[in-house]
Amino acid sequence: MSTDNIFKATPAKRILGRVAPENFIGRSELLREIVALAPSTSPRRGLLVHAAPAAGASELLRQAYDKLFQQRGMASPIYFAFTRHEQTIAAAARRFLHTFLSQLVAHRRGDPSFVNAPPALRDLIDLADPSDYEWIERLVMTYERARDGGDELALVRLCFGAPVLAASRGARSVVLMDEIQNVEKLRGEVELGNEIAQLSMHGDAPFVLCGLRRGLLDELSGGNAPHRFDGFGTLHLEGLKETDARTLVERLAFTERVAINDETRDLIVQLFGGSPFYITSFMYAAHRDNISLTSFLECQKIYVDEILGGRINRRFNSILEEITPSPNIRRALIRLLHDAATNAGGKSPVEAWRRRLELEPDELYPLMFALHVRELASFNATFMEIGTESLWRDYLRASYRLQVAAEPRALVVADTLVETLKRAPQTMARHYRRAAALNLRELLARFDAQRVAASLLHYDRFSRIYRGVEAEEIALGLDAETDLIRLPQIVHAASCASFHPPMLLVCDEERCAVAHGFDALPYTDANEIVWLTAEIDSKLEAGRAVTEVWCDRLMQVGHSCGFKRFKLWLVAPEGFSAEASELLNERDAFSSSRKQLELLTAQLSPEGTDGGAAGADAPDEFEMVIPMGSDTELIAAHTVEQIARRLDFPAEAINQIKTALIEACINAAEHSLSPDRKIYQRFRLESDKLVVTVSSRGIIVPSPTNAGANGNVAREENNGRRGWGLKLIRTLMDEVEFERVDDGTRLRMTKYLRR
Amino acid sequence: MIDSHDRSPVRSQRSGDIAVIYASDYLNKLSGERIERECRAALGAGCRALVVDFKNTGLVNSIGVSIMLGVIDAAERAHAPLVFSNVNSQAAQLFEMLGLTLHAALAADEQDALRMLSDINLSQDSRVPVGKHI
Repeated sequence: MSTDNIFKATPAKRILGRVAPENFIGRSELLREIVALAPSTSPRRGLLVHAAPAAGASELLRQAYDKLFQQRGMASPIYFAFTRHEQTIAAAARRFLHTFLSQLVAHRRGDPSFVNAPPALRDLIDLADPSDYEWIERLVMTYERARDGGDELALVRLCFGAPVLAASRGARSVVLMDEIQNVEKLRGEVELGNEIAQLSMHGDAPFVLCGLRRGLLDELSGGNAPHRFDGFGTLHLEGLKETDARTLVERLAFTERVAINDETRDLIVQLFGGSPFYITSFMYAAHRDNISLTSFLECQKIYVDEILGGRINRRFNSILEEITPSPNIRRALIRLLHDAATNAGGKSPVEAWRRRLELEPDELYPLMFALHVRELASFNATFMEIGTESLWRDYLRASYRLQVAAEPRALVVADTLVETLKRAPQTMARHYRRAAALNLRELLARFDAQRVAASLLHYDRFSRIYRGVEAEEIALGLDAETDLIRLPQIVHAASCASFHPPMLLVCDEERCAVAHGFDALPYTDANEIVWLTAEIDSKLEAGRAVTEVWCDRLMQVGHSCGFKRFKLWLVAPEGFSAEASELLNERDAFSSSRKQLELLTAQLSPEGTDGGAAGADAPDEFEMVIPMGSDTELIAAHTVEQIARRLDFPAEAINQIKTALIEACINAAEHSLSPDRKIYQRFRLESDKLVVTVSSRGIIVPSPTNAGANGNVAREENNGRRGWGLKLIRTLMDEVEFERVDDGTRLRMTKYLRR
Repeated sequence: MIDSHDRSPVRSQRSGDIAVIYASDYLNKLSGERIERECRAALGAGCRALVVDFKNTGLVNSIGVSIMLGVIDAAERAHAPLVFSNVNSQAAQLFEMLGLTLHAALAADEQDALRMLSDINLSQDSRVPVGKHI
C-alpha cells in the first residue's frame, strides 16, 4: 500500500499519539516525509528534525509512529525519547535496547499492547516472530554479558546498533529518536551523540533524529562534519501557520466543549504564537475549569492561571529546574533574567551573569547554553539577550514577584490579569496592522534589477499625471513612460528593528525595512546600496512634519548602522502633501502611495525579471533551451517567428526579431566559455511588445570589438569584419540591454508593435 | 555553356565568363565559407564575373555576411564584377547595414544579374553600378 493511500484511509489508531489524529493540525507534510522513510526504496537515509521549543516535535514523532505502525509488512516504527530524568549513558542505552525490541516485536506481531507495557527482555525472545527468534536471542545474550562488563562503548554500540543488526537480519525499522538535546547531560565516557550519528549513517535502518533546533547538530557533533548526514533530509518544525493555529483552536473548542468566538479564537492564536503545545494546554485548562472563552477577560483569566500555576507554568518551572537544580541559584537566575528583561534591549553582559550567579565558567556556560538552546535567551559570546516571547516574559515577571520579591500572590495575580487584559486589544491591533501591512520586505526582495516607470517612486509626479485617471489608462500611461528607474537587486531584506532595535518603539516590525542590494552588476563597493523604507500611518496625504520625522529616523538608522550609501523610500497610504514632496525631493528620497505600491507590485514579475520559473507558467511567456552550435539558432528563430505572429508583428519586424535572435545566440556561443553549452531563452509577449531574453552561463571572452590586446589582434586578423552582433541587434530591436549576471551574461531585447 | 558542379556542397553553374553560385537556405559561417571557396575557384578557373544567388536563402547571420566581404575582396582583386541576386528583405537590410551594398550590386533575380553583367564589357570595365537594383 502506498503512503498516500494510508493518509487517505482510515485514521491511525492511537498508540503513542497524545492528540487525536484529526486534531493534529498543520503537520501533514512533515508527517508524510517521515512516513515516506518506511519503504526500503526510500532514497533517504533519515531525517534531521530541527524543532522550535513547544512546537510539538514529540507529538509529530508519536503521530508518525502511529501511522507507521499501521503499515503491516513494512519497516517497524521505533520511538525513543531521551528523558530529562535519565542519569547515565549506560542507562539510556539499556532502555533503548529494551524499547527497540519491545516495539519491534509489537509491530511484527501486530500487537500494540507491548508498546506501552513492554514485557521483560527475556520474555521478548519467546514472543518474537520465529524468523527473528535466533538473532534476538543472540542479541539478548550478548547484551546480558555486556551489561555487566563495564565497557560502556561496547554497550552503547550493541544497544544503539540493534536497528542496524535487525535490518541486516530482515527486520527493518524506522527509528524515531526524540529530544536529542537531552543527550548532553547524560553522564558517561562515551560521546553518545557522535555514536548515534555514526550508527544512523550505516545499515538499512532509517533514523529520524529530532531535537531543539539550536542544539541538535551540536549534540550530534555534526556541525563540524556536514558530510556525516549525507542522504538525510532536513525538516524544520516551527509554530503553526496562523490559519492552522485558528483551525486547531476551533477543533479543540469543539472536542473539549469550550465556547469561543472569532475574536477570542484570534486572540488565543496571538497569545501563543501558533504553538500547538501552549494552545492545547490553554484549551484543556478552559475545559477543566469549565470556562467559556467568549470574552477577552475570560481568556486572560485562563492565561494568567496557566502562567501562575497551570501546565504552562509547570513547563517553564521544569526547564529552569533542569537548568539549575539548586533553588538558590534558580532564584538568582530568575532575578537576573527579570532584570535583563527590563533593560532596554533585554541584554546583559556575561560578566554580570558570572558575578551575580557566583558561578565558575564550567558551571556558568552550560547554564547559559541551556537557556540558549531552549530559546529563553540568546547567548552571544559576550552578552545574553532575553527572549522576547510575551508568554515567557509574563512568566518571568510573575515568578520574580512571587519567588524573589515575595509579593502576595493575590496582588501578582491581579496585576498580571489587569496588565494582560490591557494588552489584549494592543496585541490584536498589532496583529491587524501586521495583516494589513504592505509587506515591504517581500516587495523589495522582488526588485531584482527590474525597470519600472519612475512615477511609481515619485508621488508628486504620479499624482500630477494620474490623479483621477481610470485604472486602465494609468496602466497604459505607465507602460508608455520612457523615464524608467532601474531598481536594485536586493540580496537581503529585514526589518529596521533587526538592525536598529529602537525602531521598534516607533514602528511595527513589518512596516519598516532595510534592504541591502546592488544598483548594478558586478557586485562591487561602488554598486552597493541600502534601501531604507518605511510605511507611514496617515489617513490623508502625509504632511511635511511627519515626513521629515521619518526621513530623519531612517537617516539615523543608516548612519548608526554605518551604511555607506543608502536611499530612502517612504510609503504613505494616501501619498504626500506638496510640501512633503518638496522635502522628499530635497532629500533625494523616493515616495509612493498605496496605489503606486499596488501598481509597482503588479509590474514586478514574481520571481524577478528572468530568473524564476514561475513566469514561464504564464500563457504569454515561453521558455526554450537550445544547445550551442549545429545551427540551433535556426530553431530559436523559427520559434520566435511563431510567437511574434501571435501579436501580429509585420513581416519585416519579424525578420528583424529573428535576425537579432540569431545574432544573440551566435554571440552567446562565441563569447562565453559556457560550461553547459546551452542558450536559455525566454519570450514574453505583452500587449504592445515582445521581450526576448537570451542568457548563457560562463565567462565573457573578449570579443574582437572589445578593448584589449587580444581584441586588437583579432580585429586586424579579420579586417574589422566580425563582432557586429551586438551592434546589429541594437539596430534591429527597439531596446537592448546587455548585462553580466552571476554566472554568465543576459541579453534582453524588446521589439515594440507599431500598428 | 553551362557547367554544373554537382559534387560541390554549394551548387554553382557557369554561363560563359560568368559563374553563378547558389547560396543555401542559411547563410552562416560554414555556408559562407563554401560560397567563398566556390567563388575563388571560379575566379581561378578564369571566370570574369560572379553572381551569388540567394534565391533559397531564408536567413543570414552576420558571420555569413562578413564572409561575403571576403568574396567581394577576392572579386575586386581579380577585377571581376560581383552581383548578389534574389536577396530577401532581411538579408538586404543586413547587407546594407554591414556595408556590402557599397561594394556589390544587388539584382532582383539571377536573370537580372546576368543582364547587368552582359551590359558591361567584361574585358575592359569590371565595374557594375553598386547598390540596390531590386
